[in-house]
Amino acid sequence: MPLRRAASFAAWSLVAALVASGCSRNPSTPAVPRTADGKPNLQGVWQVRNTAAFGLEDHVARDGMPAGRSVIEGRTIPYLPEAAAQRLQNAANQKTADPLEKCYMPGVPRIMYMPFPFHIYQTPEHIAITFEWSQVHRTIYTNGVPGPEGIEFWMGDSRGRWEGDTLVVNVTDHNDRTWLDTTGTFHSAALHVVERYTMTDADTIQYEATIEDPKVFSRPWKISMPIYRHRDRDRILEFQCQAELEEANGDFERDPKTWYPGPSAKPVEIPADWASMSAPPSFDLPEAPAPAGGRPGQTAPPEPAKPSGPPPPIRRMADGKPDLQGYYMPDGGGGNYGLGKHAQDFLTPGGRGIIVDPSDGTLPMQPWAQAEVASRQHPERGYDDPTAHCFVAGVPRSTYVPSPLQILQPPGYLVILHERMSWRSIPLDGRPHLPDEMRLWQGDSVGRWDGDTLVVETTNFNGKTWLNEVGEIVSHAQRVIERFTPINGDRINYQATVSDPLVYTRPWTIALPLNRQKDELLEVACHEDNQDLQHMKDVRDAARAKARSNSTR
Amino acid sequence: MGRVRFTGLVAALAGLMAMSATAHHSFSAEYDSNKPLKLTGQVVEMKWSNPHAWIYLNVKGKDGKLVKWAWETGGANALFRRGWRKEDLPAGTVLTVDGYQARNGSMTANATSITFPDGRRLFAGSSNPNAPK
Repeated sequence: MPLRRAASFAAWSLVAALVASGCSRNPSTPAVPRTADGKPNLQGVWQVRNTAAFGLEDHVARDGMPAGRSVIEGRTIPYLPEAAAQRLQNAANQKTADPLEKCYMPGVPRIMYMPFPFHIYQTPEHIAITFEWSQVHRTIYTNGVPGPEGIEFWMGDSRGRWEGDTLVVNVTDHNDRTWLDTTGTFHSAALHVVERYTMTDADTIQYEATIEDPKVFSRPWKISMPIYRHRDRDRILEFQCQAELEEANGDFERDPKTWYPGPSAKPVEIPADWASMSAPPSFDLPEAPAPAGGRPGQTAPPEPAKPSGPPPPIRRMADGKPDLQGYYMPDGGGGNYGLGKHAQDFLTPGGRGIIVDPSDGTLPMQPWAQAEVASRQHPERGYDDPTAHCFVAGVPRSTYVPSPLQILQPPGYLVILHERMSWRSIPLDGRPHLPDEMRLWQGDSVGRWDGDTLVVETTNFNGKTWLNEVGEIVSHAQRVIERFTPINGDRINYQATVSDPLVYTRPWTIALPLNRQKDELLEVACHEDNQDLQHMKDVRDAARAKARSNSTR
Repeated sequence: MGRVRFTGLVAALAGLMAMSATAHHSFSAEYDSNKPLKLTGQVVEMKWSNPHAWIYLNVKGKDGKLVKWAWETGGANALFRRGWRKEDLPAGTVLTVDGYQARNGSMTANATSITFPDGRRLFAGSSNPNAPK
């Protein structure tokens, strides 16, 4: 019940809004910030202060829902008669019928007025929005490239353009599975949303969305609301809706061997002499593949790859740093099925081995960890792999899981968007890590440039992730140092050194190439369509029942 | 769907192996190596989903009754990038599918190879390493 749990938080935010409302009219509020290319600069952490996520129309309070005023021009939604009846039925069944109650992606515009903050990142070609809610993200393409055809998305396809100082976003290709609020407001796949983002001062975006769906509404209608900058937050955190739900109801069980024990735990120190061991030797990366033809939206099979000349040189940003931006397909080398070299086994693919240190290519596990990995390979423990639940993969697994990724370099950050619906935000401003007790699925990353290599240190893990499907282990104590080194304009040498003194006897390093391609991210709605988990739960439950009957015999 | 389009589809699918390893869970944990299957039936529908798509096949049992089998394949995004669209496998298409049944005994299986009656292969984008290249 994500919104119900969020209700008290939303009410609290409203109080904050009332307190802050005097400030927003202060004549000393700074003017609208601008990007280098003169556009209004939307980058920052933002959130609404209304109750639109609960109800877009005027609504009085009920259990778990604060009262609020309509955000609709004309106050009410112009339903067609049959749709009005459907909406009432939806409202009556909200607890089971609202997609958000199942932690399904909220869609656009609902994600924009949820009671959770989001971070906007702005480059000349993309405006990316990462959401605290379940690591969802959306990319508004402002590069003039048309969207794909013949596919639909939970979060729609967003193409933007600037009309003066207003960002106008055309959101199309919606599926018909999202709602607009908890009162049953729904739509069909014919939904078309046009958003308008206008900064009225440095800390306020006036947000409008025109909603058109001739199968559900008698005419287009418009919502309008201010979105406020969080001046007191330099990053958003994580609310993993489905993971929280499953932890609360017992479907995803605590693993005391790896999970963070809690704020009272003694911090785990990484041995001082490990630092000198973590520099990997030189190694050879696999050959780059032939450049792939095609892109989303094509209606014909890809053209054969054209003969390629020498790879393009490393691209540079205005400040001279390497420009790593683009769409990449990691060559994970089967790391998701074992980091060491391994042959295929039944339905588990083989792998070339991506461990480059230690030089024997094996993980330097402590004895207990070897036994635990063996245990995780029993079929009944396949259910315990967090990615089987469609939870985020963590670090470094997100890189080789395998799934394509998009790298953005807005001012002050490197942002990685994973097609498998998760994101990483890596600030480059030298800020410290979060306090030790703040533990996250993706950890807390900070980055810095070392020559042409971006060095990223990630700590503050919750220890809930696995390294791969065969159950190789990391714990909450892990620290990951990643190195992103461009080899040419189309290739990044990616290395990750993992130091985890609870699991290993020394640090170890993997290396793999990220290959840039001409393509765009699509969307993986993993949890929303996850049919495998129940099968795996059946296997686990059968094994547990058998163990119980053996023990009582 | 015209003949030209269909031929293109089959050609496109031949190259899927390289991008097929998109599993989000252990197939070995879900499917049973001791339960290989080979079934022929008619497509009921294709569920266009990620990280795995599903092909539902009506298969006639020994008693003559139709049983609906769910076959797990590679993900919709990989198929889309190769030019596939969800309409491209219409209901009624006859297919023969090889694979392994789920350990929980349900009418669910992992597809390792899919062929049309004339022998052409439709590679399903399974992450199964034994699938034809």
